[in-house]
Amino acid sequence: MNEGLVVCVRSIISFFSLLIFTRILGKEQISQLTFFDYILGITIGSIAATLSTDLSSRSWPHWIGILVWAALGLLLEYITMRWRYVAKYLENEPTIVIMNGKIMEKTLKKMKFRVSDITELLRNKDIFDMNEVDFAIIEPNGQLSVLKKPEFQNLTPKDMHIQKKASGISSELIYDGILIEENLRQLDKDKNWLLNELKKHGIKNISDVFIATLDPSGSLYIDLYNDHMTKITDIGDYKGPY
Amino acid sequence: MRKFLVITIPIVTLVLFIFVMESDIFLKRPLGKNDSIPESINAVVNDIQKDDWDKAVKDTNNLSDVWKKVVRRVQFSSERDEINAFSINLARLRGSILAKDRAGAFSELYEAYEHWEDLGK
Repeated sequence: MNEGLVVCVRSIISFFSLLIFTRILGKEQISQLTFFDYILGITIGSIAATLSTDLSSRSWPHWIGILVWAALGLLLEYITMRWRYVAKYLENEPTIVIMNGKIMEKTLKKMKFRVSDITELLRNKDIFDMNEVDFAIIEPNGQLSVLKKPEFQNLTPKDMHIQKKASGISSELIYDGILIEENLRQLDKDKNWLLNELKKHGIKNISDVFIATLDPSGSLYIDLYNDHMTKITDIGDYKGPY
Repeated sequence: MRKFLVITIPIVTLVLFIFVMESDIFLKRPLGKNDSIPESINAVVNDIQKDDWDKAVKDTNNLSDVWKKVVRRVQFSSERDEINAFSINLARLRGSILAKDRAGAFSELYEAYEHWEDLGK
């Protein structure tokens, strides 16, 4: 038995099976995962690792294990999408831990959260004074959502009665020195317009540009391969190999 | 094109994986000349029953060759322990034949057959 070759083949099976099953399971980001999703991911990953390197048993039962766990995960996803009541039971629901500026001690105890956990999560949200908090809610994924008291909320253009144009989403016009004509067409611009704009910035060739983006308000961002930076700020706090 | 990428490729890939993992169903069967493990085991059993120890040595060597040939194609769908156990049976069988120990040789042969049956199950 050529163990290296067998591990190689089983790793390929494990890797691509995992890729396909996780794609089927959905596009949730790590931050959106509930605690159960997290455990589900770890378990499936662990079975895939065993499939890959545990030659003392056949790959088939492990693969079936991954399949069943993924199928159950998918079933649970379907059930929670279809029935809100079951979703609340299975995935938990947001819990208010600070209401009208007051900490809900009993709720915290029930959720096995300490006050220090809450202050830590608040600090992550740049809140260092509990007086600023009106409402704080622990989401099912363990993150804290905070509503500040009106007097501590950020001033917005609306508060100042200032009209602002919607900036929209920028489109890439040049990427890695290559012109993306499709995006230009979508923005009702042509190559000549872009070349003129580049000329205004002293750029002769499209191939000199690393990236150029344009937002719907007409703001053009250009970055060159050669930025002519003479002094580069070093943020390293200790001398290292790099 | 999108349908092909999103549906066809994953399905074909999974089917191919299932085929590799379950390939022992086809690959344990003889695919050419002189690659049947049960037949090779039977040949050695007959030799020992007839007390033809010289032929038993020859057929054991043949069984070993067949095993090396077959193990190459069933290794991806089988467990290492069964493969190793079969190889150990072969080594012990050689010892029993050398000592002309009928009981020992039969034990090893029937155990080897059992391991062959369990391979990939």
